[in-house]
Amino acid sequence: MNLTTNQSRRDFLRALAIGAGGMAVIGNLGFIFPQETPNGEIKAIVVDFAICTGCRTCETVCSANNHKVEVNGELLKGLGNPDLSNIKVWHYNPDVDIPVTCFLCEDAPCIEACPVEPDSVTGRKALYRDETFHTITNDLDRCIGCEKCSKACREKSGGVIFPNKKTGKPERMCTLCGGDPQCVKYCPYGALQYLTITPEIQLRNTSPDSIAEKMIEFYYPEI
Amino acid sequence: MKGYNGIILEIDLTNETINKKQIPEDDLKNYIGGRGLGMKLLYDNLPEPGTDPLSPDNPILFMPGPFSGFPIPSSSRTCVVTKSPRTSPLNKKYDHSSTVSYSNMGGFVGPEIRFAGYDGLLVKGKAKKPVYISIEDDNVKIISAERYWGMGTDKFDKYFVEDLGDRRFEYFYIGPAGENLVPYASVINTAARAAGRGGVGCVMGSKNLKAVAVKGSGMPPVANHKKYLDLLEKARLSFKEDSSSKASWRESGTAGALVYSSKKGSQAVKNYSEGTFEGIEKIGAKASRKQIWKRDFACFSCALSCKKSGYAKGAYGVIVHDAPEYETGTMLGANLMIDDLDGLSKLIFVGDDYGMDIISAGNTIGFLMECYDKGLINKDFLDGIDLKWGSVDASLQMLHKIGKMEGIGKLAAQGVKPLAEKIGKGSEKFAIQVKGHELAAWNIPAHEKTGISYVTANRGGCHLNGGDISEQDGIVMMDSLGACAFAEGWYKDELHYRHFLSALTGTEWSEKEFDIAGERIFNLEKMMNYREGFNKNDDILPERFYSHKFTMGPKKGAVVDRNEFAGRLDKYYEERGWDVKTSRPTDDKLEELGLGFLSTI
Repeated sequence: MNLTTNQSRRDFLRALAIGAGGMAVIGNLGFIFPQETPNGEIKAIVVDFAICTGCRTCETVCSANNHKVEVNGELLKGLGNPDLSNIKVWHYNPDVDIPVTCFLCEDAPCIEACPVEPDSVTGRKALYRDETFHTITNDLDRCIGCEKCSKACREKSGGVIFPNKKTGKPERMCTLCGGDPQCVKYCPYGALQYLTITPEIQLRNTSPDSIAEKMIEFYYPEI
Repeated sequence: MKGYNGIILEIDLTNETINKKQIPEDDLKNYIGGRGLGMKLLYDNLPEPGTDPLSPDNPILFMPGPFSGFPIPSSSRTCVVTKSPRTSPLNKKYDHSSTVSYSNMGGFVGPEIRFAGYDGLLVKGKAKKPVYISIEDDNVKIISAERYWGMGTDKFDKYFVEDLGDRRFEYFYIGPAGENLVPYASVINTAARAAGRGGVGCVMGSKNLKAVAVKGSGMPPVANHKKYLDLLEKARLSFKEDSSSKASWRESGTAGALVYSSKKGSQAVKNYSEGTFEGIEKIGAKASRKQIWKRDFACFSCALSCKKSGYAKGAYGVIVHDAPEYETGTMLGANLMIDDLDGLSKLIFVGDDYGMDIISAGNTIGFLMECYDKGLINKDFLDGIDLKWGSVDASLQMLHKIGKMEGIGKLAAQGVKPLAEKIGKGSEKFAIQVKGHELAAWNIPAHEKTGISYVTANRGGCHLNGGDISEQDGIVMMDSLGACAFAEGWYKDELHYRHFLSALTGTEWSEKEFDIAGERIFNLEKMMNYREGFNKNDDILPERFYSHKFTMGPKKGAVVDRNEFAGRLDKYYEERGWDVKTSRPTDDKLEELGLGFLSTI
């Protein structure tokens, strides 16, 4: 089946949603960034896994935008080193490419796992959810570098948190680029979109390995 | 120099030593990177002319370019450079006289080498037992690969990364063809991306080197950061615009040329005896999209997504592979009179799974099919294989023989030139090779420029060489920058490659200096070949093109005019500034290009 028609795409995604038990529709297997709009709707970044070609442009623009450098007194975007990016594209054989980044899980297992006492005033642990963008943020001063958040993410979600090699403090949580996600803007194929979805839908999260397994089964049955 | 890491990682597999060698800035300035710098390093590191390409002394280089790693759209290419195990001159100055060899592959490996902190890898020597090299930034190790030796490339591609335990590694490898020293073995990454030609996989196999795995966390420095960002933004916007060219890459990949070339009468059909294939629509891009293609794929930072995954499920089992493309679809399809898409996909998969040059393999099988058809050889010669035109099964059997270097496969693996020498009976007239390297999917009658590309290519018969001087020197530069030829059309005017190079390095590159760099590298390759004994007498087309006319299609009756072609070639040498009698670059030309050190050759 080729997925160039909208009808076959919808059928495919509905099938995945049912198969995974409560997954959200519209091709958003786990790559969701809920952001409440003024009238209470949730807007999310959505990956269309049928389109992603694995080019990793998203990695380079994420890296450049989130790691700016000072050049001759001016703050400029970075060169685009993909090692620094929050979004990562995972490649599998047989051919599928799975872009994955922090899903901003509602019941964030990373925050749950953080052992640092909630602050008496703000209620925040070291790892906390930013109110404006709902992104997972780390307080570097309070973080003890125990790496429990990274482990929880790996076990219960997409495995997107990478502890810093020296300090152990969590990195690679999506920032939504302050409301103007660059990955969405620069994907040459339109595989990433910023969509409004209805609030009833449960958002669940899956590791790239699991997503790949489903995609491979769908595209290349009996391989 | 900014734009570069400035370091070549040198690995000696005999002594198991690892060295980080500084690259002289003059070499970066004069030879750029990729193919060019690879050739200079080859020249510097070959112990002597006539070096046996399969000896531990022949270095093999894996060379990204100064664009590699920077997300300059479509700059994903890596050039593999070495001395060729395929080619030989009429005037063999040495027992192992051969040309230089180079082959490009796409994907993500070149950028990763640069992230790891190097501008290239140089491997020399020979490991005692099969090994792979692991590179993680500074941390370089030589590790046993014995448990992988014998593994097909598809299975290896899948399991090696799982064993590494980190999917962020990029890696390239050989298959059983390289391990068995099939002379036209290839180097593969991601199961279907090949540095296919010139026997580079054979050289890698001769070193007992199964694979190289790379992971890097850094980035080379840039001289003019602001200019770089500005150019990058403009390039991305340029690729964002809709165009028929962009749509064609996405929709069809190079397979779009299958029907196009056949309709134009320029395709290699039935061992080049025709230029048009009646069954082409059954194996073209439209048929593929309809029947087998599932998804489109792109290399690092590329907006074109010319790669496909074809899911073929039929008489030949279930396979997933990037098939067909123009070259593979022609050489194992139209050239062999095969119009079964499932069968063709299987053949291409098997060729890549062994890790062999599908162009040479297809050309060789087509040659044998013609010999068999004409009764010049019989079934006994072919180990009982009934190698009829159009037979997928017989072709599959041949591929297995070649990949395993078994029986007739041993000779077939040498290619059409030695085969014709063995078979005789005038078969050398239709052994379609130049300097020992098989020609590819573009036929020549009525398209003489293609003939120039084939006879003047420095690695032997090559369709990617370019049909005139400006094209050739331009292609050299793309191969040296790490840029993909398919995206060339977008890099014009204010987005010309030299502006990017200027921003990266901080040196202003004029159009003239840019062209001269390409010319310099081409002449270096030429002189290295001349040193081995190659001269004008090797720049010849097989007799078929002069004496056999197409019998069908739009170019029915077409044939190459011997004198006209000879005149073209002489004109080419003159314009190149080469001696018309020998094709050797004149000393003046060498001096002009800063290659005076080669004038003693």
